[in-house]
Amino acid sequence: MSHDYSKLIDELSRGHRSRAILSKILEVCGDSVLDLSRRNIIIKIVIKANCLRTALENIYKEHDLYLRTIAASDERSREGLFKLYYVFGIDSEGTNLVFEVPVAEGAKVDTISDLFRASDWYELEAHDLLGIEFNGRQMSRLVLPEDWPENLYPLRKEVSVEELKKMYQPQLISRVSELGVEEVVRIPVGPYHPALHEPEYFELYVRGEKVVDARYVGFMVHRGIEKLAESMKYDQVPFLAERICGICGFVHSTSYVQAVEDALGIEVPERAHFIRSIVLEVERLHSHLLWLGVALHLLGYDTGFMHAWRIREKVMVLAELLTGSRKTYGIDLVGGVKKDIDKDKIPRIKETLNVLRKEFKELVDVAMSVPQVKARLTGTGVLPRGEARAYSLVGPTVRGSGIARDVRKDYTYAAYHYVSFKVPVYTEGDNLARTLVRVDEVFESISIIEQLVDMMPGGPIKAERWEPQPMRLGIGAVEAPRGEVIHVVLTDLYGPYRWRVRAPTYQNLQAVPIMLKGVDLADAPLTIASIDPCFSCTDRAVIINLRSGSVKTLPIEVISRRVRENG
Amino acid sequence: MRMVKFLKMLSISVREGTATRKYPFESPLVTPEFRGKIEVDPVKCVGCGACTRICPPKALTIGNEGDEIVLKYFEGRCIFCGMCAYVCPQKAITVSKEFELATWELGDLYDEVVHTTVKCRICGKPFTTVKFVKEVEKRIDNKVPEDLLTVCPECRKKLTARKIGSKVVGVSGE
Repeated sequence: MSHDYSKLIDELSRGHRSRAILSKILEVCGDSVLDLSRRNIIIKIVIKANCLRTALENIYKEHDLYLRTIAASDERSREGLFKLYYVFGIDSEGTNLVFEVPVAEGAKVDTISDLFRASDWYELEAHDLLGIEFNGRQMSRLVLPEDWPENLYPLRKEVSVEELKKMYQPQLISRVSELGVEEVVRIPVGPYHPALHEPEYFELYVRGEKVVDARYVGFMVHRGIEKLAESMKYDQVPFLAERICGICGFVHSTSYVQAVEDALGIEVPERAHFIRSIVLEVERLHSHLLWLGVALHLLGYDTGFMHAWRIREKVMVLAELLTGSRKTYGIDLVGGVKKDIDKDKIPRIKETLNVLRKEFKELVDVAMSVPQVKARLTGTGVLPRGEARAYSLVGPTVRGSGIARDVRKDYTYAAYHYVSFKVPVYTEGDNLARTLVRVDEVFESISIIEQLVDMMPGGPIKAERWEPQPMRLGIGAVEAPRGEVIHVVLTDLYGPYRWRVRAPTYQNLQAVPIMLKGVDLADAPLTIASIDPCFSCTDRAVIINLRSGSVKTLPIEVISRRVRENG
Repeated sequence: MRMVKFLKMLSISVREGTATRKYPFESPLVTPEFRGKIEVDPVKCVGCGACTRICPPKALTIGNEGDEIVLKYFEGRCIFCGMCAYVCPQKAITVSKEFELATWELGDLYDEVVHTTVKCRICGKPFTTVKFVKEVEKRIDNKVPEDLLTVCPECRKKLTARKIGSKVVGVSGE
């Protein structure tokens, strides 16, 4: 590239922050930058792998910059290379900074996990699933099981879903034949969280009553969703995406369709944007009420739990009325939605919201006045602001530590730019702060839905037609109840070529050990729950067994009458 | 007074009464918009297979069984998304409100629409349904020669290739 970059930087930057970052990168890595471009809010920098670290070393201290996701992709069939897409966000100007890094087969990329601590899992996952090697860090298996064959990388294009399925059959069959019986049912037992009913495992190191250290082992629920989507069509994937999470599924289908719409430049009708926003907020209401109930239950205040869920039931009925289903709404399609919100439903929406506002306020007033509830929330599970920033955390977790990061404001999407709402922020960083963020958000969501239904424009709810193009990069992000969900899509002719999902818990879980240090053992369950973790989302593409040390889990084979092949 | 504020919950509980419904003795709460299992109208269905191509969990499948083409619906796989009804060009699929699908018999979870087939005029293989051919004739207003409608895709390819071939040969021969 030429040496006078100032004009180029002027053209590409979206504010003083991105200008400063771009100048720095070009100053230190000018010759290694292969291409620079901008489309809407995405600034893309194609950079040689050997200069990525140098570039990031020079910018990682920039105030607003955080790591949103890393997508690794096998593009050997097209360009003979693997590619890594590092997506950074600049909150203050709503810019996505994407580093596209070509990686030749067998080449090594320098780690950035010491600069951006959130990148730790992304790098391990890229190695597990695609075989990309990283320099300067310890590598270990994160997402694949211990007995997974060496040098078999499931996300490589030459490996088919059928082949992967076959790999698991023989194991199961051989175990059954060892038992010497004809038919067997396999029932996995544990590890499950006592309150969250999801498979995950925490090891707490305790001295007296105080937790001094904690370790998380997860990735036990493999569903291979990203791989599966590569064999599906554009309009089938939203239904798969919605099943990533049983609580906040709509955020995933919306992120996916937004990523495709972004990649292909599809114009979505305004009315569809409004409908998506309304349903997203309804989902947040139900999710926050669910969480508050569980939190009160963990504190031993079951009365509060019952009432939170009683109120939540009204939201569930409302969701069904608007979408056709209490959960997994199934109305997102690329280019719009498939179900309209009729006029005659609007009075019903408003009525429900009024009842909700009144009853929720009543509940919170009472629940927060219970001395034990207050005492156990206050000052426990503290997450300092600096750590929250260093780990690129998202959602109520980061907002409870004084950082006003919210996708709805920072990288606005759907119809959020039409409504006025506050982003609740508390600075204490304790369990109470994270609780109050969610409580305030319930009231904000009610107000957002009221504003949206009043402003809803007429017109179609779906783009009439759109043309797929191969190998376009799109990013879709949604503020889920738990924090930012971000999907990266590389397009193909009939469906996604590569689809990278990043759920909020993937980002937030890595900070839980920090929160746990120094809490009383009795406060550990709530502290873990305070990030509103969703393990199945986090594990969306993974299989793992517990490994190392003395901890071991074994599947229990129970003899019965039928063989269940897929376990 | 502040210390006993939480007792207010008692008055809320009295006001709200019992929240749990006595289902199945009381009817369950299902709104008019609820999406349950689908129903395929065997009269309207022409066996085009559009629903099977969009169905995300592949609960709908279509295939040849002997001399018939059978559209199969397996409730056990269905995710009740309603995409089949959304894409059906014949409006043959409706989404019902039925959700009480538990059964002792696996067979109860299957539904079928059986179609009689059209056999290829050249190779004799059944390749599509009679109703589908009729529907195509209706939609294109009889503008396609009937012999093309009764030839299977493979034979049609060969036929077209031969026609082009003979034309090319014919032109160069003049």
